Amino acid sequence: MTAHRYAGATAIAGIGATEFSKRSGRSELQLAVEACTAALDDAGLEPHRVNGLSTFTMETNPENEVMRSLGIPELTHFSRIHFGGGAPCGTVQFAAMAVNEGVADYVLCYRAFNERSGRRFGAGVQERPAGATAEEAQFAWTSPYGLLTPASWVAMFATRLMHEYGVTSEDFGRVAVADRRHAATNPAAHFYGAPITLEDHQESRFIVEPLHLLDCCQETDGGQALLVTTLERARDLRQAPVVVEAAAQGMADDQQMMRSFFRDSLVGLPEMGVCARQMWETSGLGPDDIQTAVIYDHFTPFVLPQLEEFGFCGRGEAKDFITGGAIEIGGRLPLNTHGGQLGEAYLHGMNGIAEGVRQVRGTSVNQVGGVDHVLVTAGTGVPTSALVLGRE
Amino acid sequence: MTTTGSETGAPITDRVRELVGRSSPFNTARDAVNEAMIRHWCDIIDDANPVYTDASTASASVFGGIVAPPAMLDVWDKPGLHLTRDPSNPQSAALNLLDAAGFTSTVAVNSELEFARYLRPGEWLHSTLTLEEVSDEKQTGLGTGHFVTSRLSYSVGDELVGTVLFRVLKFRPGTGRARSAAEKPGPDPDPALRPRPAINRDNQYFWDGARAHELRIQRCNECGEQYFPPMPRCRRCGSLSMGYRVASGRGSLYSFAVPHYPQVNGFRYPVLVGLVELEEGTRLVSNVVGCRREHLRVGMPLELCWLDSHPASADGAVDSRGAISLPQFRPARAARHTETRRADAVAPGDELPLCPIPLTTTLIAGGALATLDYFDAHHDRDMAQQRGSKDVFMNIHTTLGLCERYVSDWAGPEAWWRALRVRLGAPNYPGDTMTMTGSVTAVDQGSGEATIVFRGTNGLGDHVSGTAELTLPASERSIGAAR
Ligand SMILES: [Zn+2]
Repeated sequence: MTAHRYAGATAIAGIGATEFSKRSGRSELQLAVEACTAALDDAGLEPHRVNGLSTFTMETNPENEVMRSLGIPELTHFSRIHFGGGAPCGTVQFAAMAVNEGVADYVLCYRAFNERSGRRFGAGVQERPAGATAEEAQFAWTSPYGLLTPASWVAMFATRLMHEYGVTSEDFGRVAVADRRHAATNPAAHFYGAPITLEDHQESRFIVEPLHLLDCCQETDGGQALLVTTLERARDLRQAPVVVEAAAQGMADDQQMMRSFFRDSLVGLPEMGVCARQMWETSGLGPDDIQTAVIYDHFTPFVLPQLEEFGFCGRGEAKDFITGGAIEIGGRLPLNTHGGQLGEAYLHGMNGIAEGVRQVRGTSVNQVGGVDHVLVTAGTGVPTSALVLGRE
Repeated sequence: MTTTGSETGAPITDRVRELVGRSSPFNTARDAVNEAMIRHWCDIIDDANPVYTDASTASASVFGGIVAPPAMLDVWDKPGLHLTRDPSNPQSAALNLLDAAGFTSTVAVNSELEFARYLRPGEWLHSTLTLEEVSDEKQTGLGTGHFVTSRLSYSVGDELVGTVLFRVLKFRPGTGRARSAAEKPGPDPDPALRPRPAINRDNQYFWDGARAHELRIQRCNECGEQYFPPMPRCRRCGSLSMGYRVASGRGSLYSFAVPHYPQVNGFRYPVLVGLVELEEGTRLVSNVVGCRREHLRVGMPLELCWLDSHPASADGAVDSRGAISLPQFRPARAARHTETRRADAVAPGDELPLCPIPLTTTLIAGGALATLDYFDAHHDRDMAQQRGSKDVFMNIHTTLGLCERYVSDWAGPEAWWRALRVRLGAPNYPGDTMTMTGSVTAVDQGSGEATIVFRGTNGLGDHVSGTAELTLPASERSIGAAR
């Protein structure tokens, strides 16, 4: 039985973001600082009280610069999580551990980038140096053959899902339709007021077969920050505490970075299974206790095996689970009520945690009734992380 | 629409059409149907059906002895090297008239063979040709011209053994429609522009092997466990002594992805990327070559080939990173079906296995000569280029043979051919691959008659499409009865 002492004893006390755009017009560092300031304002906490920062290894804004600009006098904890989009819930876990152990009092988790107007991930991974590191050398197995982008890596799994489970492109499309429906009523979303139909999805051009354009998330400029502290301290701040009921990371056998093509099976996400096991063991909850979820959706296909890994349905059954509006507002499990990364913004999953917080607070623009517990997941195909958030 | 002939003033179409309905005198083949030519043909077509070459198998078969491949029907009477147009032959006369009127280029477009019975060694074949039709002048992709249709009747003694409908296009060179940008394949992208693999001590063995065209799978020198991607320590036995084995190159397609965007240098889009499961058990990512997107199927058999992608020198200087070769996979030819399929085991919609045919100069030149076709553009590159072709190109009789082999390899050795009809399109040039696909469109369970449609595509498009009509044994009993 997993027992995480920080689970249930820590909370997210503040959330803050910049606007989400395609051209922020300012530096990535400024976006990070603005997001952190917004999270502190939301919580009603003075910057000098913060003494911990947690972010991604991919983050370009170093802790010292964020600290200087925020006016934080000293840090006793700073931590970074590796593996891109797998990190967001992991930053909250590290922050929760730090505050629960007394290593820090208040930890800001942040992620900010000009991913659209600056360096675009979708442009792909190209030349790698000779004498490469072990991490760089991994690209030798895919790049020379034209498998260069996250979309292309996911497509290889999607073909197998279609082959083994009879999943169709329309099934992937249902995820996009749900996300865009939710984004359509979220003023902060890039695709505010722009829902799509399944026909739109099917008619959108191929990016990497079998993925259409509308299976792929956006590229975004923006920043998102979260303030983590102990539940006890959180009670003294402006907002009702949102309890970290479970937080975990997961990496599984024969793991590769979005290219775990060499495992026996390609239709599951065992690293997400490692997270799921810890979620349910730590919180004592199960899939039936979750009213809404933020399921990582950089590309639609991986939403399906996540639902299976967390036990919302059986293996191969996600394609049936998501039909009939089950994942839209009013359905069995509304997903990504902010619009997800397909509809709101691609902030490497950090904006999804903020939506989980809003659902617990009861302040989402697409509020689900009677929310006690929200599941939030991080990047798929990569070593990853997850959270269960709830009310005190 | 007709064109006025330059000399007589009479419309050329009318003058050629005066020949329609006329027949040539009977022509007797120079040699009897013979096993030497059959063997030569089977070698180049790579047709291993034993009823053509193996006397004991053939005599135990439904044919009761060696028979000639049906696709050779209109080979036997060909004149060979000394081809002349005999003016008493109305087709030759028509072609001469069209040449004189400026329609100097000739391309075969249709051939429809109908077989009354199989030919056997020792039989002397007689043929006569009737000019059946000359079309109005038409604008085709190749140019403006006339389709000239002839029918050849073949007999042994007084017995009609088969007919061939043969259609050529005579067109004016240089009057073709310009191909649209979308149709033009464009120059092959330079593979040296592809991202180079990042090589370090952990994966050096693989890229050293690739340079020698060896596909290496890491293997523990102590316990034999094999790994991909490689690792420095055997997780099974703990050994740090890691070696490799060389893969056979046979595998199957486990999954695939087809990138369209973004487009980077060094690739032709969309790119066919396969996740290949080797028969040794490990997988690797590679490209699927020699076929098109619509041919990809999870599970299809594949075989290894190599792309020497990055030369050892770049921009005239030696690249310190060395030459790179990339493993690639092409569809593997399915094994020949040695049992003849029964009609009740076949249904409309059944797909024939995809079959890649590497187009070598040997196949093209050898195929032309094995079918007694000495037209220079089929075997002489210099002459082909003088005639405005980029290289030698395959003759229609080789194509017919390859189509017959493709269908027979699926149907089995005792399938009884009734007809083989083809339409030709883009030429087959050396260095390309023609990929055959096909499917069953009709089966009559009573008679065992089955119709198969097939298609051969190369890098330029469809080279051939056609239908095969053959009779399959209706049941176990009927094979015995026929014997
Ligand atoms: Zn070992």
